[in-house]
Amino acid sequence: MNNQTLITGRNLHRHYQRGSETVRALDGVDIDVRAGESVCILGPSGSGKTTLINLLSALDAPTSGELIIGGRRVDGLAEHELVNIRRGLLGYVFQQFHLIPTLTVAENIALPLLFLGRRVDPADTQRVLEAVGLADRAGHRPNELSGGQMQRVAIGRALMIKPRVLIADEPTGNLDRATGEAIFDLFQTTVSEQGVALVLTTHNLALAERCDRTLTLADGKIVAP
Amino acid sequence: MTYATFAWRNLTRRPVRTTLTAGGVALAVAVAVSLGGFNLGYRNAISGSIEQLGFQVMVMAKGCPYEAATLMLKGGTGLIYLPEDAHEQIRTDPDIAEITPIFIGIAEKQGFALDGSPAASSFAILTGVDTPSFLAMKPWLQLKTGRGYDGGRWFAPGATNEIVMGYEVAEYEQRKVGDTFYATIVPHGSVEPRQHAFTVVGVLERTGSQDDGTVFLPLHVAQQLFARDGELTIIGIKLREFNAIRMREFEGRWLKIPEVQVVSLEQVKGALVSLVGTAQTMVAAVALIAILVAVIGVVNSILMSVHERTGEIGVLKAVGANRAQIFRLVWFETLLICLAGAIPGSLFAAGAARLTDAALRAVLNIGVSQSLVRITPELLGIAILGAVILGLFAGIWPAGRAASLRPVAAIRSGE
Repeated sequence: MNNQTLITGRNLHRHYQRGSETVRALDGVDIDVRAGESVCILGPSGSGKTTLINLLSALDAPTSGELIIGGRRVDGLAEHELVNIRRGLLGYVFQQFHLIPTLTVAENIALPLLFLGRRVDPADTQRVLEAVGLADRAGHRPNELSGGQMQRVAIGRALMIKPRVLIADEPTGNLDRATGEAIFDLFQTTVSEQGVALVLTTHNLALAERCDRTLTLADGKIVAP
Repeated sequence: MTYATFAWRNLTRRPVRTTLTAGGVALAVAVAVSLGGFNLGYRNAISGSIEQLGFQVMVMAKGCPYEAATLMLKGGTGLIYLPEDAHEQIRTDPDIAEITPIFIGIAEKQGFALDGSPAASSFAILTGVDTPSFLAMKPWLQLKTGRGYDGGRWFAPGATNEIVMGYEVAEYEQRKVGDTFYATIVPHGSVEPRQHAFTVVGVLERTGSQDDGTVFLPLHVAQQLFARDGELTIIGIKLREFNAIRMREFEGRWLKIPEVQVVSLEQVKGALVSLVGTAQTMVAAVALIAILVAVIGVVNSILMSVHERTGEIGVLKAVGANRAQIFRLVWFETLLICLAGAIPGSLFAAGAARLTDAALRAVLNIGVSQSLVRITPELLGIAILGAVILGLFAGIWPAGRAASLRPVAAIRSGE
């Protein structure tokens, strides 16, 4: 593990307009994510966890504040510019897996390479399939998989581009306890073996305790580092 | 995996919708190809039929050019005549290479075709010809040989009851050399029909022209039977050099004869093409509407698909797709659905060309014997290319809409 800071957020605000009301989803958050560490973001529903995750994964830009991802300023960028930050640097895992139903497991895993314009090396796909424990499921469609297997595919898809930061929004939220544990083990293996930074949100305190750091959010603010 | 395979997989997600949309495109393309084939085939058939006439210029009594056109190709119905001495005057023209006088009359046949063919009407076109000049004009006419046809010949000098039958009329009437053919003629100025028995002295080989449906007899015999001595229906002329200037000069020289018009092949072609121009315009309008409906169907289908996959498009953006790539993906889908319709639609139109030809003949009474629908590889290529271009245009809106989706909002709306 090295201590290179991959993500730096200072005084991050994200406000939404809901009718005449301004919703302060994030209200002055500071955060640093370093290479090879796992950071867990805890908090009740509506506390701003997903909003923060969206900012850290460059899916959204802050209303104000300074956000640097992979050495590039993100605040102030338009949506079509944010994609250049995401590509090749960030891997994203969703709570609801979001696999493409018409593609096989192997094709889902290799999908990001299509958008990066990279040729798919079957050996790379096989390596990732083995890493996520789905080598025997390469030709299956998502509807033929269990929830845990689908989440493994989603993790494989995120890992395929060899990201420097893996971001997961409640990745075990739709899984039973045992499967959730297994998925978390996979995350930890990835962090330790590949030196990838992991940022995840969860309601599961037991899993949070296994992360290097835990941040607790409430009403858009970090209340416990 | 490529964008094309990914796009195709997306289309297979809703097979019924994709099939119906592609079916709409196929229908529109089939109509467009058939129309294009009709335009091409009709002009070709007109040209072919007119070339089979053997002459470039026709002199006839003044009348409407449409009648002139149908007269030449089908024999016409409301026949008008010009004096035979016009032939004597015009044949002295130094620009003429060949000239032949023709008399056309309509007779009632004794019976219908033995096989009950509806194509055999109860009337026969009797064409009186001056054999030497007629054959000089149409050197390709050959008398049929073989069992029942051997010994076939043109009329003997002075014969009054001899006929030569075109290929089709002989087939319909089941007549061979030596058979008798009965026809009833109402002479000019009389109300009393008179039946005549003719001996078939020859049957022509198939020419693919109007001659196949014609019964030929000596010119002066025809004039006498119809009680129109000294009258002709048309004078066919082949000029030594045929072009617009020569034609105008020739026309100028002979318009001095009262009640005579000089009609060129080009005029006849124009008249025949304009005869079906209205029908072609209507079919073109139907094709255009079909294409518009198909395009709207494609746009609607792809828009629905984009709407259903809003969350998925957000995910694609999250995993690295930019606007241009999402646009390209949805554009490919539009293109593929158009191709999936255009290719079978074109092939169907090509395969059904004979049916289309028969349908057009049933609707339009056109006096040409060649196929009215001519579908060429170039036409099929143009149709498929046109569908691709329409697909590109049809895809702009849904593709642009998909490309402009914001990933966070898109993913949230899909959950």
